[in-house]
Amino acid sequence: MTDNPNKNSKYLCPYCSTQYQTFDDLKTHILKDHKNEPIPAPEGMIAMTINGGSYSLRAEPELTLYDLIHDRLGLIGSKQFCDRGACGSCTVIMEGRAILSCMALAVECDGKQIETIEGIAEAEHPLIESYAKHHAMQCGYCTPGFVVTAKALIDKNPAPADNEIREALAGNLCRCGTYPQHPVAILEAAVEKRKFPEGKKRSLKPTEDADKLSFEAVKQDALDKLKGGE
Amino acid sequence: MGSEEQTRMEEMFDNLRADKYPLKEYTYIGKRIPRRIDGVVKAAGQAVYTMDVQLPGMLHMRFLTSPYPHAKIKNMDTGKAEKLPGVRTVLRYDDPEIPEFAPISGHTPTADEPPLPRIAHFQGEEVGAAVAADTETIAEQALTLIKTDWEERPFNLDTEAAPLQDTAIANLEMYPDSNHINEGLLDVLELGDVEKGFAEADKIFEFKSFRRLHTWVGPERPCGVIKWNGDCIEAWVKQQRPHIAKRVISKWFGGIPMNQIQVHCLSQGASFGGWSQTNWNMGGHYCAAVIARRTGRPVKWTFNRREDFYGGSMDEGAYFYKVGAKEDGTITAVWGDSILSNQIYPVFNPLKHLVENTRIPNIYCKHKVVMINKGPTVPTRCEQNSAAHAFTMIFDHVAGELGLDPTEVALKNDGADGHDMDWLNQQKAKRGFEVRDSLRECVEKGKAAIGWDEKWHPPGEKKLANGRMHGLGFTWTHEWDDSAGSSEMAIRIERNDGTATILGMGCDNGVDAESSYCQVAADELGMRLEDVHYNPQFDPGYFRMTPDSSTNMSINGFAVRHAARILKKKILEVATTPVGKSQRGEFPPAFPDAGPEELNIKDSVIFLKADPEKKMPLSELVGASFNSGPLVDPEALGVRTPFTVPLFAFGYHTQTGTYQPNQPRPRFCRQGHFMEVEVDTDTGQIIVTRVVNTNDVGKVINRASCEGQQYGGTYMGVGRGISEEVIYDPVTGVMLNGNLLDYKIATILDSGPIDTILIESGMGYGPYGVVGIGEDIATLIPTLLGPAVYNAIGVRINDFPITPDKILTALGKV
Repeated sequence: MTDNPNKNSKYLCPYCSTQYQTFDDLKTHILKDHKNEPIPAPEGMIAMTINGGSYSLRAEPELTLYDLIHDRLGLIGSKQFCDRGACGSCTVIMEGRAILSCMALAVECDGKQIETIEGIAEAEHPLIESYAKHHAMQCGYCTPGFVVTAKALIDKNPAPADNEIREALAGNLCRCGTYPQHPVAILEAAVEKRKFPEGKKRSLKPTEDADKLSFEAVKQDALDKLKGGE
Repeated sequence: MGSEEQTRMEEMFDNLRADKYPLKEYTYIGKRIPRRIDGVVKAAGQAVYTMDVQLPGMLHMRFLTSPYPHAKIKNMDTGKAEKLPGVRTVLRYDDPEIPEFAPISGHTPTADEPPLPRIAHFQGEEVGAAVAADTETIAEQALTLIKTDWEERPFNLDTEAAPLQDTAIANLEMYPDSNHINEGLLDVLELGDVEKGFAEADKIFEFKSFRRLHTWVGPERPCGVIKWNGDCIEAWVKQQRPHIAKRVISKWFGGIPMNQIQVHCLSQGASFGGWSQTNWNMGGHYCAAVIARRTGRPVKWTFNRREDFYGGSMDEGAYFYKVGAKEDGTITAVWGDSILSNQIYPVFNPLKHLVENTRIPNIYCKHKVVMINKGPTVPTRCEQNSAAHAFTMIFDHVAGELGLDPTEVALKNDGADGHDMDWLNQQKAKRGFEVRDSLRECVEKGKAAIGWDEKWHPPGEKKLANGRMHGLGFTWTHEWDDSAGSSEMAIRIERNDGTATILGMGCDNGVDAESSYCQVAADELGMRLEDVHYNPQFDPGYFRMTPDSSTNMSINGFAVRHAARILKKKILEVATTPVGKSQRGEFPPAFPDAGPEELNIKDSVIFLKADPEKKMPLSELVGASFNSGPLVDPEALGVRTPFTVPLFAFGYHTQTGTYQPNQPRPRFCRQGHFMEVEVDTDTGQIIVTRVVNTNDVGKVINRASCEGQQYGGTYMGVGRGISEEVIYDPVTGVMLNGNLLDYKIATILDSGPIDTILIESGMGYGPYGVVGIGEDIATLIPTLLGPAVYNAIGVRINDFPITPDKILTALGKV
């Protein structure tokens, strides 16, 4: 490419980068020299593992990771609220770390492992059930971002203290103000996760005795279990 | 139908008294339920919002916005934008398909307005052009290529000075003569004789307060999608009252029949009234509809995050007060004046709560509405913001001036319409309610929870070991469920498994109203909660009050209850009556020897009251449906269906509310809120360490949902009280902080523990005695920062939000 003999050449061989003046010349060259080779990967492709599945994707330089997963792949659980790294609604986990997908360019994520809310739900993470049980949501728009942040926290710190949870969630904005329910839901999920590390099928029809589910009781119960090192 | 329940249903219309027919016992109503109905869907990221909608071939539309606070487009060159690859249409203000005025009103039908205006009345207003392109980025790029010649006009941003401005008229088109737009129109509230009241007072004092502009901040950006299917139109709306969208759309393009309009109202990333009420909402749909028809493609229109910041709450402005009180705290007269900005519906007088909620006999308040060159202000959780602000300011000043405990001042003045508690209690009894002292219950429970008696101290006197000043604050008012509206709900029993499906309009704003309807239906039908589900009808064919309409359970609760009771009767009749004979033979009932009144249903099983062992699950009663439907026997299999008629019933309800003129119903339920703060006098920082919410909700239906409104409203209120302000540059009129970094809403760290205390006096006008709770707390909490900070530092700051600079200024440190 650097020693281009003819700067006006328009047609570049995708196999060997030789340049040709006309399309027909290029076609002749490929049929003669590269006919039996596999189709080469076009430029601008990136590879990613998303929720355990491998992806080969075209990414323009300005495309954000959020645009890629939400708009192109239809993984709509990641949400755009602030659009500039202030709210946490678009949080995904990259290589074990919670990051803001609106602030990451897709090309930066080439070769990375990404986990989204869809993957967390698919793996039957106890956070999903504990969030539903403790009403840790209202309009629900920011909720997946909280769950992803919480999942990354529990992965790193399986027995988080109340203040550690609050600190981890300090970058997630919730306009409905559901904040007090999150530490409770996360505490309970953390305990559950240690009991069932491989996940547990959610029951489709929870029938637990409603009276036992008081906010304080659950929090106390979770705290007791944590203290007991269960 | 002519049943007893039908008669009762009609008897309850315009309900003006206690619920005569509550249940004897409750299984699910009032309890915490195992899982909210939308819990898993939302936690798992499966809930779909309008912003998530993508359709094949969909174009993306964005609006041009005005760089000036007040300007007219002289001419516009869109040539370059049209030529940008990927741009499909540039719609201009002078397009032949854009009428000068069209019906695009928000919540209340208003005069027709320009769907794509030529004149901007605030910086950032959507004007002049809309671009539809293959991607949102291309549309945005195209907007920068539009060359516009603007005729700048004088502007004003100062609410207090606006009435005096005759050279800077904010909106020459609608209000050419003056910025003061409601002279003589709903502008005075008057009760008794204030001069007489001041003459009776031991102490008279005057003060003023300010509330700076704040806004809703809906997490999901304003947006919509329009698609034409031939002459039928399909719309995806982020609109808390989707039926309004349908009604408005039906008036466009010479009229579209209602049955050719399909509206989808998906989950909504909240906007607390706010966004849904503005005409920009339907204006966006109008322009998208024109482009969609022209291009034959679906069109999604969006505002960006900044553009969502231009509207605001209708309490922005200045308040002036003169208060007379006796030494013991009895208030004898309140005179008020106020100048508030840009209200589309100027109907909520700032001293309204004093009338509805106290025995103060002499009240006068002027309510001036002025236009300034900022966006419209609309009910933003909620329209009572100004009334709650003034109420808190007045009561805390009375306590402060007289050196009294504010909870005592509250109890001393409780009443309604200028009458004392004896009168109010007579009203309760007259309407069939148990007579309870709602405020006293709130105050006693709240004081105990926060430790008021041990902690209360005179202002500015308690320094903590950490060097900060300690403050306690209290405020109160009545509940304000409007209780007005109408609702249509239906329930059907499914074949095969006998589960119940509630059919009602889909409109999910997050308050989990849908779980509450299931609780009501389960208790009324005698079914297990897990056997009842709400099936939202996305096209608003059934009408219900959405939780955003200042009313939910008071209306919808009746409708779902009536439907359930009518359905239950029908089920028991079917269980005992031979339903008919076909040529295949007779179909005997499940309980041939019993009458319907001898049966009941519990846990989704029908049983004989006299002998509960004789029972049949609902699933068996309705039977299975085979290939040819539920009524045909697959004789080859030797099966007989029970041949039951379709089990379906609908209920409806309507009532006028407390916001109507000549309000027919005094408010009986009260709420009280307590806040504890620490103020750092070196940095001016306020730390909210504890909040106690006490709300008399009459009767709890969905406990977790009620609590969610309490702590959720508290967080929203704290943000509004300590930081939320939309700031405009006074020189250029440009908004400076239209993003979430510079406009700070509360985070999880911005409040200490919040106690949520629910009181159930049964004194609401809704079913089982309910009243609403959703709007109350977020509206009262912001101004509660004032009393709490005053108690901490001993200096009044009557300018909200109370930011650190105001505290340092008040302390003489800057």
